[in-house]
Amino acid sequence: MPKLTIDGREVEVAQGTNLIEAARLAGIAIPYFCYHPYLSVVGQCRICLVEIEGQPRLAIACATPAADGMVVRSQTSSRVREAREAVMEFLLANHPLDCPVCDQAGECLLQDHSMDEQGGQFSTHMVETRRTFPGLERRLLGPHVVQNQNRCIHCSRCIRFTQEISETSQLTYVSRGNHAYIDTFDGRPFDDPFSACAADVCPVGALTLREFRFRKRAWKLRSTPSICPGCSIGCNLWIDHHERIVYRFTPRENPKINATWLCDYGRFLAESLNAHGPAPTFRDEDGSSSSPPLEETVRALALELKAARTLRVVASANLSNEELFLAREIFAGYLHGELVTPVWPGEPRRMKNGHGVWLASSDAHPNANGARRLGLDIVDESGLARFLYGAADLTVLLDPLAHPYLAGEEALQLLRVGHTLVFSQRQHAVCEFARWTMGVASLACNEGTFTSGADQVQRFQAAFAPPRGALPLWQWFTLLARELGLARLAVATPRDVFQLMVSQERSFAGLAWEELGGFDTDSYREHQHVG
Amino acid sequence: MSTAPIHAANPEELREVRFDAAMESQIAELLTHYPIPRAALLPVLWLCQKRYGWIAPGVMEAVAARLGLSPAYVQGVVTFYTMFHTTPPARFVLQVCTTLSCAVCGAGELLAHLRKRLGIGPGERTPDGTFQIVGVQCLGACGSAPVVQVNDDYYENLDPAKLDALLDELAAAKE
Ligand code: SF4
Ligand code: FES
Ligand code: FES
Repeated sequence: MPKLTIDGREVEVAQGTNLIEAARLAGIAIPYFCYHPYLSVVGQCRICLVEIEGQPRLAIACATPAADGMVVRSQTSSRVREAREAVMEFLLANHPLDCPVCDQAGECLLQDHSMDEQGGQFSTHMVETRRTFPGLERRLLGPHVVQNQNRCIHCSRCIRFTQEISETSQLTYVSRGNHAYIDTFDGRPFDDPFSACAADVCPVGALTLREFRFRKRAWKLRSTPSICPGCSIGCNLWIDHHERIVYRFTPRENPKINATWLCDYGRFLAESLNAHGPAPTFRDEDGSSSSPPLEETVRALALELKAARTLRVVASANLSNEELFLAREIFAGYLHGELVTPVWPGEPRRMKNGHGVWLASSDAHPNANGARRLGLDIVDESGLARFLYGAADLTVLLDPLAHPYLAGEEALQLLRVGHTLVFSQRQHAVCEFARWTMGVASLACNEGTFTSGADQVQRFQAAFAPPRGALPLWQWFTLLARELGLARLAVATPRDVFQLMVSQERSFAGLAWEELGGFDTDSYREHQHVG
Repeated sequence: MSTAPIHAANPEELREVRFDAAMESQIAELLTHYPIPRAALLPVLWLCQKRYGWIAPGVMEAVAARLGLSPAYVQGVVTFYTMFHTTPPARFVLQVCTTLSCAVCGAGELLAHLRKRLGIGPGERTPDGTFQIVGVQCLGACGSAPVVQVNDDYYENLDPAKLDALLDELAAAKE
């Protein structure tokens, strides 16, 4: 393992580590544009120049592997500072410098390094007018990505992403040198299933996202670690939010699962987190409806549940491990109801991890494996239909989005027989006739764990408190537990539920809540969007 | 012997390109010279330009499919080189070198003369589709500047009179 010194700090790194990563480990940030930890190294931008003792020329840190005994100077070298200033001037020579109206501002590497390497002192020797790309200042490249070619610094990250990661090779430079611009073949839409990642890796505002641009300034956003709810792969992501509104998902680094990527499908589920259930509603036999206060609702629910002679419960593989555990304990264990968890494969999704291996989804849910681990009765569509055909005087739906079958005519007919209680995060056909509808706060307000397709138990955090009237499902369950006199389950936090599972469930034994995040150990976090 | 004119296939013909047996066998032969198909991209493109006169999007797609590349990748390479025509070229493409040696030896004069005689400048073509002028960088023949490359042939040590003779000859060459 080579041991080297960077700006006077000694650091030991794995064989093959480049100087940018070695410096990162030593707590020193070497600037870079074209380098990306999960893309090939091309050495195009030259901002990462460093001085290496014994070598007359400055070297680019991204393409220089650390060697034993190397003495590297970055910030402490005046030659390096001068060279980087010159590179910055060069990169900015044709840049529009339109930061005030550019949506990348605040998370732009060009802006950051301009401040760092030029000390905010911008000067240029250019007397010519700037090169521009008329017609390419606001072009929709595909369904999600908007291009402003004037801002491009020709780092080729976006191109390499489509070549090396998504493997569609849809992007290319057209023309060369000063005139080169990013394009797709023959003007076809950039419909790569990972297209939004091209905007992520773009270090500047040349590629931005149609869905996010101009909705919120980057510096206003807070980021909360969470897990993608889109499928069983369990990609790690940040919920970026401000004043209780979710604006976007951004990838959260996890080399084993999603490196620094998200698929477009999962990424654009972000918007759905802004629904926190229909208003809690009680609908009487005569069709009249009302919204009783919370305590009253919980009390009435408990009474209905206890009074039911035959109780059946449709759980959901979209619920957290903690919620599934509580559901099992309360509805099946204590109330002796019959409980099934529908699982469906959905559209096949895939993701490439940090080692270049494609992972495939097995289910359309983030937590089907959690349901399996808890020994729940998993049913497919026909199993679910059979379940609903059976007679029961009370049906509880823990999530009407558990299976698309639940929105079909047949299911709705079956659910109209007898009473239905529904917990729902979004408006759904069932809510229109259910006896009770309880609003469920979205994943953005939830805390807990999901078990991924590869059986990793991963934790997600709550971004903000739910709006009035909506509660995360686990909280509905603990309130019910208290009302039903189940003191053991009437705990205060998802973490408490998790502790119960660890002590009681063989499949969760030995797990520690604190270690399930991944977010505490993340080395790229200061640089939140990895470019 | 004078330079042969380019026969540019019309865009309709190149909308969808399927290589015939002759092209196929030439491509297969080219591939034997390289360790990976991608490395044969430039020679295959040259072959196509010879055959079709220019590299239409349909040609790029066919080449991409044949070499296992994406069409965008091929487009990137084609547009990188000014020597590949991405629109149907005139019958004679006059590549006038404008770099230093030629510039001091009279490239400007040649361009002025072309403008006078043909009524066009760099980037333009005559309405009858006979001539097209492209200003290019050093053709590597500085010793015999000024130089004009016509299609694949070099014409060196030119002056307006020689250029006139050349243009007459080319225009007469017809088909
Ligand atoms: S569009 Fe962005 S990522 Fe692509 S080359 Fe330009 S600056 Fe780099
Ligand atoms: S980061 Fe090293 S040359 Fe671009
Ligand atoms: S400058 Fe014209 S051939 Fe070299």
